[in-house]
Amino acid sequence: MRSMPDHRHKAVHYHFKRYGVGLLFMLPWIIGFCVFVAIPIGWSMFMSLHKVAVVPGGFKYTWLGLQNYRDAFLKDNVFPIELITYFQEMILMVPVIVIFALLISLLLNQRFPGRFIYRALFFLPVIFATGQVLSELFTQGAGDVPFLEQYNLEPIVRQYVGGELAKTVMEVLGRVVLILWYSGVQILIFIAGFQTISPSVYEAVRIDGASPWESFWKITLPASVPFISLNVLYTIIDLFTFPLNPVLKHIKDNMFKVDTGYGYASALAWIYFGFIFVLLALVLGLFSRSMRLKGGKS
Amino acid sequence: MKPELWVHRARNYAAGLLWSRKAQKYKMVVLGRNLSDGLLAKMVIYALLSIVAYLYLQPLLYMISTMLKTVSDLLDPSVKWIPRVVSWENLTKAYKGLQYPEALRNTTLIALSCSLVQVLVCSMTGYALARLAVPFKGLITALVLLTFLIPPQVIIIPLYVIFSKMGLLNTLFVFLVPAIFGQGLKGALFILIFRQFFKAQPPSLEEAAKLDGASAVRLYFRIMLPLAQSACLVVFLFSFIWYWNMYYEPSMFLAKGFTPLSIRLDRLEDVLNPSLLGSKSLVANPVTEGTKMAAAFLIILPPLVIFMFLQRWFITGIERTGIVE
Repeated sequence: MRSMPDHRHKAVHYHFKRYGVGLLFMLPWIIGFCVFVAIPIGWSMFMSLHKVAVVPGGFKYTWLGLQNYRDAFLKDNVFPIELITYFQEMILMVPVIVIFALLISLLLNQRFPGRFIYRALFFLPVIFATGQVLSELFTQGAGDVPFLEQYNLEPIVRQYVGGELAKTVMEVLGRVVLILWYSGVQILIFIAGFQTISPSVYEAVRIDGASPWESFWKITLPASVPFISLNVLYTIIDLFTFPLNPVLKHIKDNMFKVDTGYGYASALAWIYFGFIFVLLALVLGLFSRSMRLKGGKS
Repeated sequence: MKPELWVHRARNYAAGLLWSRKAQKYKMVVLGRNLSDGLLAKMVIYALLSIVAYLYLQPLLYMISTMLKTVSDLLDPSVKWIPRVVSWENLTKAYKGLQYPEALRNTTLIALSCSLVQVLVCSMTGYALARLAVPFKGLITALVLLTFLIPPQVIIIPLYVIFSKMGLLNTLFVFLVPAIFGQGLKGALFILIFRQFFKAQPPSLEEAAKLDGASAVRLYFRIMLPLAQSACLVVFLFSFIWYWNMYYEPSMFLAKGFTPLSIRLDRLEDVLNPSLLGSKSLVANPVTEGTKMAAAFLIILPPLVIFMFLQRWFITGIERTGIVE
């Protein structure tokens, strides 16, 4: 009879010894997660199901159910359009950024004197391409490419793309340089990724008679598929907080309107998050499938 | 002589020239064995990179050029890049409008303290996730990823209420406290970086230290953290820059009193023309354009200087850390 508590004591002691240090190291994060992430998430979901009014000394909640979510699509005549436009832009911007980063990092990966200077140059925008400075530059119309006006590309784009989409394309082209400023981190990820491909592979294919062009398509590109997927994901997440994002502005505006308030703004934010989450899941699924296919073949 | 013979001879001669060693050598110099070795390829690379770099940095040049123009130069369409008279008036105006020394102190305080705390806390969390026994490790790692994915807009209102209940609004602590608890700006990304780094280290070091009787805490601070120097530097610099540039969070939490540079840039228009208060137009106002560019320049100047000194470590550090594996 006596051995039972003793045994349990030993088990507790064992578990403490096993997990104690790990928990000690994790403790700050766990507390922080509960207070600054879990509670706000739950609260914001709760708010999105209510009409929230600010009264002295706190909030007054009126149960609405899913009314806020329904209103976002049925009553609000700005939000769905902005959401769709922004997603159109994003679907254009992500490939532009990732492909640009891939090309530049391929060039920067070559050995030539002075490449450190160029690497520094292309990393420079990471330092200031955020927040207010960027939106000031946007406002003043800096960052368009000169040949856009010189060669009068707009009718051409309109002819080939047509209609509403042409407007989006032109908008993206109009500030393409500033959009490319979002590729600093991606370039670094690609360069670091190229270092993981062993040089002996290149040597082997060269001896087999492959041209540099072939060795790019057969070796560099397949080996960097994981980094491409990483970069696509990073770019999508990075564009959440794009300073001129009209959706975020709309959410912020609704937050301080009396008739809509926090509840409605929370519902909008959750819808926005839901859309992005679906996009991320799609990208992840696509890439992991292609990687699995490749793994299956070899 | 028959013409066929001439052709034959000429062909022989040409073939001999082509296959002579000297020609081979020239060909090697110009074209190279690899795509990247030859002179030709190098020139193409330089040209391409220079053109793209020019386009890439054009907005920065625009900022500097606009900053140094007077109003009349700004309105004159014939003045494109180089101002007729270099005027420092915009800089002094922006300096005053931002209340630069005070705002610089605030921003530096936030960025420096938060990023130092973040290095310590995120490295500890990353180490625990990589090496120590933690219950529900898989779930916790997934939650770390989740915190990276949630846009700040979703949780900003409850956070605002929590911070105001704690009495942290409009102080430094509104950013420092979450950083202490591992929820600083992009903290999840840094945790994952450290986790990746510690996972890549050989376990024999820890085993040796454990055999010598070092406790886990001592092992961490004496061996693992110094080992992670390059990762620490990368995380510190990124964290510093992101805290320096953040706009959305301070626009909610630091609305008055303790305001950083980015908020003051946003308000500069109102400070310069009190008469236009509230009418925020998206059209550039030519009178204040130069001053705003000067203010933007003043904001990016300190991180720019820091980056110039540290850039080599920064970039090689990222390569060495193996963030991407």
